[in-house]
Amino acid sequence: MTRLEEVFNKKETKNKVLVTYTVAGDPNLESSKKILNDLIASGADILEIGVPFSDPMSEGPVIQKAHERALKKNIQFKDILNLCKQIRIKNKNVPIVLMGYMNSFLSLKNKLAKELNKAGVDGVIVVDLPYDESKSFFNNLKKESIDLIRLISPTTDSKRMKRMLASSSGYLYYVSLKGITGAELKNFKEVKNKVKKIKSLTNLPVVVGFGIKDAPTAKKMASFSDGIVVGTKIIDFIEKKSSQQISSFTKSLKKAIN
Amino acid sequence: MKYKNLNNYAFPDKEGRFGEFGGKYVSETLITALEELEKVYAKVKKDKSFQEEVIKDLNDFVGRPSPLYFAERWTKKLGGAKIYLKREDLNHTGAHKINNTVGQVLLAKKMCKKRVIAETGAGQHGVATATVAARHGLECIIFMGEEDIERQALNVYRMKLLGAEVCSVDSGTKTLKDAMNEAMRDWVSNVEDTHYIIGSVAGPHPYPEIVRDFNSIVGKELKIQSKKEFGKYPDIIVACVGGGSNAMGIFHPFIKETKTKLVGVEAGGSGVKSGKHAAPLSDGKVGVLHGMKTYLMQDKNGQILSTHSVSAGLDYPGVGPEHAYLRDIGRVEYQSATDQQALKSFHDLTKTEGIMPALETSHALAYVNKIAPKLSKSKIIVINLSGRGDKDMFTVAKEDGMTL
Repeated sequence: MTRLEEVFNKKETKNKVLVTYTVAGDPNLESSKKILNDLIASGADILEIGVPFSDPMSEGPVIQKAHERALKKNIQFKDILNLCKQIRIKNKNVPIVLMGYMNSFLSLKNKLAKELNKAGVDGVIVVDLPYDESKSFFNNLKKESIDLIRLISPTTDSKRMKRMLASSSGYLYYVSLKGITGAELKNFKEVKNKVKKIKSLTNLPVVVGFGIKDAPTAKKMASFSDGIVVGTKIIDFIEKKSSQQISSFTKSLKKAIN
Repeated sequence: MKYKNLNNYAFPDKEGRFGEFGGKYVSETLITALEELEKVYAKVKKDKSFQEEVIKDLNDFVGRPSPLYFAERWTKKLGGAKIYLKREDLNHTGAHKINNTVGQVLLAKKMCKKRVIAETGAGQHGVATATVAARHGLECIIFMGEEDIERQALNVYRMKLLGAEVCSVDSGTKTLKDAMNEAMRDWVSNVEDTHYIIGSVAGPHPYPEIVRDFNSIVGKELKIQSKKEFGKYPDIIVACVGGGSNAMGIFHPFIKETKTKLVGVEAGGSGVKSGKHAAPLSDGKVGVLHGMKTYLMQDKNGQILSTHSVSAGLDYPGVGPEHAYLRDIGRVEYQSATDQQALKSFHDLTKTEGIMPALETSHALAYVNKIAPKLSKSKIIVINLSGRGDKDMFTVAKEDGMTL
């Protein structure tokens, strides 16, 4: 069983999965490591680690600034892999998923999957790699048992969903709104219906992300999904250098969704 | 790789690719919008009444066909090949950009979108978009880098007069690429009622095809005009390349006419070797940005490098995927011209022909300035004079050490 499968199987004891998103190297590598370990200690079940990119097209202003802060520290891909290794030394079980943009992953060329595997990375989310363009990328990752986590959006119709689900693994990330990270989430009912639809088509776990900024919303979203992703709000605290709030906020989310 | 036979040249393919280049590298949310655009565009491409509507606007609103002008004094001065200018600067709004926006705004209406957005560098595409939005009564938002807003103040004011909202983009390098990021963010947030009018042969499929097709009126006219004027096709066609829309517009109808040499001129900035430039075809690597696989200026970690060019319209780290393909198969030759060479040609043409070219266009002129004297007088060069230089007054004055 992969680390991701294990985490979601624990769910059968009714735990919902808490996924956190932070950017590697924001505000610097040392702090990043500490923040990630704090997140684990406060209840994060899966770590999505953002790969900072010069042109983060899907991010709202808060996460854009996080990418810029990390890049100012000249974070290299190899630093991110090192960071993952260090997390892995302390924690054998927490799944690590790298999330970023295609050009960053391309920079490792054909070594990518092997390097990810060596660093203890479990999955990859590529924001600008839709299903249609992903065949060879997906197959390359598969050789090293790295999951390519698919994003499904409100505009994805069922026909397309079925095609995507045929080559998906790990979990599915439902983007709750048409927009960028940190935008306002308005239509709960639509999210619920869409998640139900996805779950009727697959056995893979479905987590919901984008626009979740407080415990009540997290609770609501978790009630019909397998977990939630929180990014912008945590990064807000990182920007304000408030590590205590990161922990207490994460704990409150964990409590709310269980 | 060298091309063998171009008779069957028909790109993009079904996947929206030009060889390995192009594609649709966008977030999942935008896929539906791109598919809709693809479907509608395939339909109107064959729809006679739509095409007639476009032609009517090109004639009556834009003022086409644009003349093919013999630059006699400049030719004499250089003392070699005969130089002709395809006068896109005479179009309504002063550049080739309007060829694309008159077509895309009709597409937007076909798809019942009531809001259009666009990115702009030099401001020419922004003005061209604001213009057609005003003509059709659509809401219009233009994204423009903070740095470009400063150096293209005249165009910013023009857009506002036309009723557009100009959004200043202060992220990243504060230039064209960041304006495009911001436009993408707006589009993904308003995808249902908004059409994104991309201004170059760049971005995800089907944009490179759509923008090329609308601009190819330039090359089509040139075919007729050159036969009439000198009984054959030009020996060499030269155009500047940023994203590459004016170049693709004049090149595309000639791709199969292999006797005509095609040359694209990129922005060499302070010189390609200096690293301070915007010439990805001369000094870039293949990667993915803004929805397409193409040559990009990037570092070894895949971070997009900041570019430098005196002309805001060429200040872009990528290039349209069809250019990447034409480069690799050797059908088009890509060169570069530096800021200083372009500025010199700007002054030369202004003084010898009474035509003030855009700084973007001046890069193409700079290349011709170099090669024309070495060619025989029987050779014919056509330059796509893609835009007029009024917008660049402040930049040129500043370079000349003057304040206006």
